[in-house]
Amino acid sequence: MKPRQMIRRQFLKDSLGVAAAAAVQSLSSCGGKRDSNPRRQITFGSYADPALDILKEVFLPEFERTIGIHTEWVEADFSSWLQKGLNDGQTKAGAFDIYVMDDLWVPRFAGAGYLANLDELGFQTDLDLVPSAIALGYWPPKTGLRQPGIGSNARSILYSLPLISDVQLLFYRNDVYRHGPPATWDEILRVARQKSDPARHQYGWVTRGVKGNPIVNSFFVFLHSLGGDIFGENWKVIFNSPRGVEALEFFLSLVAYAPPGVAEFDSDQEGATLLQGNAFAATMWTGWCPQTDDPTKSRVVGKINFDVPPKKVNQVAKLGLFMAGIAASAPHKTEALEFLKWFSSSATQIRFARSGGTPFRTSAFKDDEARKKSRWLDATLRALTIGVPSPRTSDWSKVEDILGTELNRALLERGRAKEHLDSAALETSAFLKSAGYPVG
Amino acid sequence: MSTPAKFIIQPRGSPPSRRGRLLPWALVAPTVLFVVAMTVFPLGYSMWTSLQEYPLGQPPAFVGLRNYQKLIHDVNFRSSLATTLLFTISATGVEFVLGLGLALLLKGEFSFQGIIRSSLMIPMVIAPVVVGIIWRLLYNADVGLFSFAVQELTGKSLSVLSSSMLALPALILVDVWEWTPFMFLLLLAGIQSLPQEPFEAARVDGASTWDIFRHLTMPMLRPVIVVALLIRSLDAFTVFDQVFVLTQGGPGTATEVATLMIYKSAFRFSQFGYAAAMAISLLILVMFFSAAVTRALRGSG
Repeated sequence: MKPRQMIRRQFLKDSLGVAAAAAVQSLSSCGGKRDSNPRRQITFGSYADPALDILKEVFLPEFERTIGIHTEWVEADFSSWLQKGLNDGQTKAGAFDIYVMDDLWVPRFAGAGYLANLDELGFQTDLDLVPSAIALGYWPPKTGLRQPGIGSNARSILYSLPLISDVQLLFYRNDVYRHGPPATWDEILRVARQKSDPARHQYGWVTRGVKGNPIVNSFFVFLHSLGGDIFGENWKVIFNSPRGVEALEFFLSLVAYAPPGVAEFDSDQEGATLLQGNAFAATMWTGWCPQTDDPTKSRVVGKINFDVPPKKVNQVAKLGLFMAGIAASAPHKTEALEFLKWFSSSATQIRFARSGGTPFRTSAFKDDEARKKSRWLDATLRALTIGVPSPRTSDWSKVEDILGTELNRALLERGRAKEHLDSAALETSAFLKSAGYPVG
Repeated sequence: MSTPAKFIIQPRGSPPSRRGRLLPWALVAPTVLFVVAMTVFPLGYSMWTSLQEYPLGQPPAFVGLRNYQKLIHDVNFRSSLATTLLFTISATGVEFVLGLGLALLLKGEFSFQGIIRSSLMIPMVIAPVVVGIIWRLLYNADVGLFSFAVQELTGKSLSVLSSSMLALPALILVDVWEWTPFMFLLLLAGIQSLPQEPFEAARVDGASTWDIFRHLTMPMLRPVIVVALLIRSLDAFTVFDQVFVLTQGGPGTATEVATLMIYKSAFRFSQFGYAAAMAISLLILVMFFSAAVTRALRGSG
């Protein structure tokens, strides 16, 4: 009896000892890690995108070598990273120093106080930075509508900088449009009517039709090109105005010459259709430009040219930049600021453009060597100049979802533009009202 | 050798020592703590979240049942629940019929049974996201297998995922492809564990194969069927990956299941309180659904 009792007691004691030791060890390693490692480093949190490859593979190693700050790049897919970034901001966990963001996210991150004030940290802007690109880094926005609760006299603060310029360009086949870029949308429609041949998988137009962000981005250019807009005075929903309806009807008339199943196309299928030589034109993001000349990815090398999207009433391009902001809870703010200063310097931006990246400094766009290397730079700068961003509100994703669902329905039915836009407008107005917007 | 027992089991009638009273609590405590940490706390926290609103840049505000009131009037949520229910019943039903058929077909000894049974398991072990990508290619309107076959037969192209009529059946087919093996595996194990004597007796008495199936196999297999249907239907109720990869809820809202709506509300629109209210409502519905399925199947026996 005695020996068995002793063994059990001993076992319990030993177990407790091991557990306590393990707990002490893990606690000590948690608290001591940061202090015991004096190495200067910054951690980036980002979504995965091929447009970031040059930055990751060439420029971060160069930054490490020249400035002596170690970098760590943590990435996830688009939605997962948004979730992780917001969690980090909300919990002030400090897991990241620099948030890489879609420009749509700046209102959410900056509005919620998750980003550090770059003005206060000492970042100086200058006139060489492309105005439409740097404007996306301010919150509240310098111009346009302001979200409820933000006074009209509230000062705009710089919270983030562009990282990669991304804007929708017109990609067109130079063997189809032999006399240069189509100047108007009507010309694109005319050529599509004349030359589309579905039996040979040749289509006059390709676009993104998936509900939500993809189809809204595709429609956005048409809406603005016909003089329409998403919101009017005091957030009144006006995308269902006669101009909006006309824009959607025109969009649908072009879709008639798009590949079958375009309602399920996202950017990967849109790009693949163009690179496979199955479409004559599309409005796509700048990030696709390098692939058009890559023989491993494109069957139409040298046959695709770039220009700003054509005109209907106005000439506009949709902005969609990659932005970078320093986390308010960043443990290495000084080092993060050093990176932003280094990367946005004229010298680095020129080298970035010469390596095939899309810069955000006018001087880099105008560098001869860079223009020779990346023949889309000229069109990109012009597109940035006439670029229009998505409405600057943290609730844009919800509006995009509502509008995108109805646009997708209209695309499936190839008609009833007014009914679908009216339905989206009604739902959007109700949502905005419940969220405290004045709604006209 | 019997002496040690008296230190553990108290003699009947005498009050247990303090240590004896505490010992059972101490033994169950780790499990209770684990369950509290992993189930009760997250559930309670979700309930608490569902009673709050998260305004941008401000601390959460308690709003009582407002999120639930909003939910009652949300047509989109009701529609997503209907889609989820239709998906669950259809997918689970087809999987059950196919799984049972396969289990009956492959229950005996036959050549290459190991290879055949293993190959049937393949869809089940592929990550759901990968399954989604494979089927997205198969459903592609321009180069996909389905479109090709339809074009060859009818001369017209077929856009499965951009058709409001076909998108949901297409998702159900993917789920059936992926999870029928699971149903097959459970039912096969159940069939093989049934005692053989009643079957032999029935055969001796001249019962037909259909009679044996109807009056012996099915009633004896009922506990396994209940478990299989419950596991699959609960899983189908929370389908997300395939919908996310294949349709994003489209075209329109034809495949917008409840989990996708919850995901979008929480992580795209930052409406955490509203998303939590939807999640709690879905949980309650799933509990009712599983109770109803269990009662119906047990009752029919």
